[in-house]
Amino acid sequence: MATYIFRRMLIIPIIIIGVTMLIFAMLSLLTPYERASLYVRDVPKRQGAIEDIIAKYGLDKPIYVQYWHWMVGQKDSDTGEIIGGVLRGDLGFSQIGASSVAEVIGRRMPATAELAVWAAVPMISIGIALGVLSAVHHNKPVDQILRVFSIVGWSMPVFVFGLIALMLFYAKLGWFPPGRLSDWASQIVQSDAFVRYTQMNTVDALLNLRFDIFWDAVKHLVLPVTTLAYLNWAQMLRVTRSSMLDTLRQDYMTTARSKGLTERLVVWRHGLVNALIPVITIGGLVLIALFNGVVITETIFNYPGMGSFLAQAALSLDVISVLGVTLFSSIILVVGNLVVDVLYGLADPRIRLQG
Amino acid sequence: MKVIIKLLTNPTSLIGILLLLAFAVIAISAPWIAPPAENARDPYMIPRDGFSSTPESPSDLHPFGTTEGQYDIFYGVVWGTRTAFRVGVVITIFTAIIGLTVGSISAYYGGWLDEVLMRITEIFQAFPFLLAAITLSSVLQTIYGRGEAGVLMFLAKGLALVTFGSSPFENVDPVQLQILTGMLAIIVFGWMAYARVIRGNILICREEEYAMAARVVGAGDMRILTRHLLPNAIFPVLVIASMNTGAYVLAFAALSFLGLGAQRGYADWGQMINFARNWIPSLADHWHIVTYPGLAVVLFVLAWNLVGDVLRDTLDPRLRGRNGAA
Repeated sequence: MATYIFRRMLIIPIIIIGVTMLIFAMLSLLTPYERASLYVRDVPKRQGAIEDIIAKYGLDKPIYVQYWHWMVGQKDSDTGEIIGGVLRGDLGFSQIGASSVAEVIGRRMPATAELAVWAAVPMISIGIALGVLSAVHHNKPVDQILRVFSIVGWSMPVFVFGLIALMLFYAKLGWFPPGRLSDWASQIVQSDAFVRYTQMNTVDALLNLRFDIFWDAVKHLVLPVTTLAYLNWAQMLRVTRSSMLDTLRQDYMTTARSKGLTERLVVWRHGLVNALIPVITIGGLVLIALFNGVVITETIFNYPGMGSFLAQAALSLDVISVLGVTLFSSIILVVGNLVVDVLYGLADPRIRLQG
Repeated sequence: MKVIIKLLTNPTSLIGILLLLAFAVIAISAPWIAPPAENARDPYMIPRDGFSSTPESPSDLHPFGTTEGQYDIFYGVVWGTRTAFRVGVVITIFTAIIGLTVGSISAYYGGWLDEVLMRITEIFQAFPFLLAAITLSSVLQTIYGRGEAGVLMFLAKGLALVTFGSSPFENVDPVQLQILTGMLAIIVFGWMAYARVIRGNILICREEEYAMAARVVGAGDMRILTRHLLPNAIFPVLVIASMNTGAYVLAFAALSFLGLGAQRGYADWGQMINFARNWIPSLADHWHIVTYPGLAVVLFVLAWNLVGDVLRDTLDPRLRGRNGAA
């Protein structure tokens, strides 16, 4: 087990360095002039200003020098301060966010995290439940219906599902509005009387004992959460189903039945626990799905998170912001996948007992 | 042959194939179903009926209504079929070629080359796919936007030749160029599944007796790889290709929806749905601006997935065994 985790850990830095290299490669497709005007908060309006910036930041140096500077930063020749450096958390200046990319991410991350956490709950629980249902009724009508349901979900673009949800439940029925909070609620949230512990509205509202605000935040979350979850049930369902089908054929299942246990107990106690081991691996896929999903979902529902920021930045070709957000998300994903691998190792006795 | 019979007799895949055939018929006969205006410069630009911003409900003149800016939705849906086929098929071909090359080299030569190639594959997989595609397409658009792009322009011309059949000696039409950037971004981050699957399969095939036999009679590396190993390892690629064609169309539609794929007014489903973003509070009155292009995307992707689903059950020997045992 220790060697297994150790091996995974060894690969992580290689992957992360590779990710930064790829991001930097995309950045260096741009000319020094383009990068100079992207990097700096205000380009001074005088002749030769751009050339000065290029010289100052070494944007004309060999590519490996630039990569090093981009990673760890460099000394400002005028002030002696160290500037830049992705490792120091400096992802550059975001033109459309009008502050540093790191600041924008810090500001918008809680909203996205709130959405993602809320979405993960129904995504995983209902996904697994449907998978078990499908496997237990293998090749029966229930299985067929769920199969159709999952393929249709798989084929549905996020934005079509989201817009139709808005059409029905907002434009038609007026139940669930887009955005993150109603105007009255966001005024209270921004006032001094309301302490923002986590920046996540639902959690903060509960901690402040403002149940009206909690209810308002939940109402705004229902549609985006459903959108994110529905489109990924298909995947959860499929993996759980095939894993469960495998498990149901194992000898210990027959043993459990022959002991006289009820079918319900056999399936849910003996079957599911074992079937869930391979399902853990889908945790990484859930993360990817969430990252991909939030871009579109937040854009449609006008939800002020990282995803809608990325979409906005990409549209106005604010390359530095886009690269920063993508780099940040990829690192989270790499670490998340490591966690999934370790969990899998812990859960599966075949791996746990190996080393 | 058995595969084809299976695909035609299974109701699920039959629906998929019929849907694809219907789409193909629509794509081919687009000039007759929705004839472009006589003086139209580019038939893929949706004709406009006035410039009013409010979408018009379906009428005799516009069977599916119009979007904001009076673009005819029926025309866009019909011609968008061509765009969808082009985008999906071309991206699939390129990603499959890249993935096959990387995967087969990796598996056949093994050793440090395998290690390096697989780490590179993992690095590409470390990105959330849509984010990576959005990022690359915004970088590429900045580059192509300035007109001079050196090697990258060469790439775009190659892709334009395959996608639109345009001559590589002329400048790429800017409208097409924007579509190509989106496709290029998806291709760069879309090949990894093929590489991994083909590698795994060749690793298995390499140990088979026929591969040994070929080596014994003195066949060269290339010959063994292309004549003996690839044909035996390639079936799962068909499954992925079919499922992925749908996924690529979805990804491209998402780019278009965000405004990074096809240009405003181009016959592309994602781009048409983009118009709906400004009308969310009144979508109940303007349901047609989402429903018709949305239905087109869903059915198109669904068709590929239905075929892929049955292909997988039929071709994947592991699954075949499972079904038999169950």
